[in-house]
Amino acid sequence: MTLPIWRTEWLTALRRRRLLVLNTLIPLVFVAPIALSAAPAVHSAAAFTVLFALFGTFGSSIPLIRDGESGLLRRYVLTGVHPGGILLQRVFANAALDLMELAPSVLVIFVARGSSVPQMAMVLPAMVVGLVAANALGALTAALAKSVAEGALFSAVAALLLLHWAGTFRTPVPGTWQATLETWNPFRPLHESLLAAAGGGPDLDLALLTIPVGITLAVLLLIAAGGRYTIGLGGR
Amino acid sequence: MFAATELSFNYPSGRKGLGKVSLKGAPGDRVVVMGPNGSGKSTLLRLVSTELPSSPGSLELFGEAWESSRRDFRKRRDLRKKIGIVQDTPVHVEDLTGMENGLLFAELYGLPRAEALGAFAALFTSLGLDEALDVPTREYSYGMKKKLLIAEALVHNPDLLIVDEPALGLDPPSRAALLRILEERSEQGVCILAATNEPALAQELATVVVLLHEGEVVAHGSPAELLAKVGGATRIEVHVTGSLPAGLTTTGPAFEGLPADVVSIRQLPGRIIAESRSGSDVLPQLVGAVLDAGLKIERVEIREPDLTDVFTLFTGRALGTEASDRPVENP
Repeated sequence: MTLPIWRTEWLTALRRRRLLVLNTLIPLVFVAPIALSAAPAVHSAAAFTVLFALFGTFGSSIPLIRDGESGLLRRYVLTGVHPGGILLQRVFANAALDLMELAPSVLVIFVARGSSVPQMAMVLPAMVVGLVAANALGALTAALAKSVAEGALFSAVAALLLLHWAGTFRTPVPGTWQATLETWNPFRPLHESLLAAAGGGPDLDLALLTIPVGITLAVLLLIAAGGRYTIGLGGR
Repeated sequence: MFAATELSFNYPSGRKGLGKVSLKGAPGDRVVVMGPNGSGKSTLLRLVSTELPSSPGSLELFGEAWESSRRDFRKRRDLRKKIGIVQDTPVHVEDLTGMENGLLFAELYGLPRAEALGAFAALFTSLGLDEALDVPTREYSYGMKKKLLIAEALVHNPDLLIVDEPALGLDPPSRAALLRILEERSEQGVCILAATNEPALAQELATVVVLLHEGEVVAHGSPAELLAKVGGATRIEVHVTGSLPAGLTTTGPAFEGLPADVVSIRQLPGRIIAESRSGSDVLPQLVGAVLDAGLKIERVEIREPDLTDVFTLFTGRALGTEASDRPVENP
């Protein structure tokens, strides 16, 4: 099986060296002062989670809309490739690129907060799930948006709402529907693992990932089917 | 290869794109659609290329009815892989080189890399793109991008090639190379559906010309058949300044006495157009009559009839001119 869109995303990202450097440095500039400060872990983890989730969501949605508007996605689809396949390749490629670009920031958190090995080990799968979910969310918002401005708005609103439901900004009352929803939320493991790594929570169990991984896979299936309505794919 | 029957299309704004257009193309046919801007040429091509959703009327591609709402992906994929498309605006992944873009699209069409490399080598040489293969396409000119797009549309040996404005942006050698390639492919059985505003290109390329006006077919046939309809008369266009005489006819007072070979005479703003059966032999008498009418001649153009005249014959409008640029009298 060949993955031409995945490869193109990587090639393009590596060619745009300036953007690659900026995408690595800007989160670092944001993360480092917080990680190195005496900010409480609960606040630091919330800030890191918001940054990482928005990084993934915006980075997926806006280029998709732009490529839809330019006609590039339409050209891809007219070769006979499944629109869902195009979107999934982009989601995974961009999630992998995000992980690479955010790695230095995460390392700074580990070093500055003296995270333990089990805490660090938990952040990696949580980041993978969180970034795939964020990129998937970006693809969905791109399918709803009719312009880059709308895409940015939808991405911000959808990501912040999901972050809220992930318990990033508050702790839900146990037994409520919000608490149930939180256990399903793909951003929850990201938040919990960053909270632990920032020194504010217990070591986590990989089982925490089970339902969010399932939800993320369901969202990916939805993208494969519904993402075809992204600008430029036009339901084709 | 393709058969459109009473195909219609309205844009979301309600503007008519196409109204009950019927046409078909068989293997080896070169169907060229001509018409002014907004006449529906690109809409027709986008419908046949499956880019636009299905609309009223029917479209058959490779012997099967096409319905965009049908969700049979395998059928859709197999059908699209038989089509090559050259859009009027070339879009590429700007950070990739020409060859990388080419290989990307070849791979999307399902072509093995080695086969694609061989096909591109020949196409790039024919189109004069060899030296730009390793250059990012963001540094390409419009013409270079168009040539790359043409190579990408041909690399998988499509059965149906759809080309919007084939020669737009191409220099004369590239235009000649493109025509050669299209003729070769056509001889191999590829059906070509093209849209253009260039009568010379249409005459050179087409086996069938379809003239579109306001989304409807006003005439179709081989270039020879269509040209026969304008009678093969030479067109003499006298550009003038001054007030044009009212009631301009070959037998009217201003142009009385012109030779019988002048089969028609009419006026457009700033121009008097005569059609002559004896070529430019009537020029002295015509110029004399124009001067006698008190007009000042700026220049005179003489040309043999082409497809723009056929368009004018059927629509009363000049191809590529404003809607208001209409004859005041058409004897």
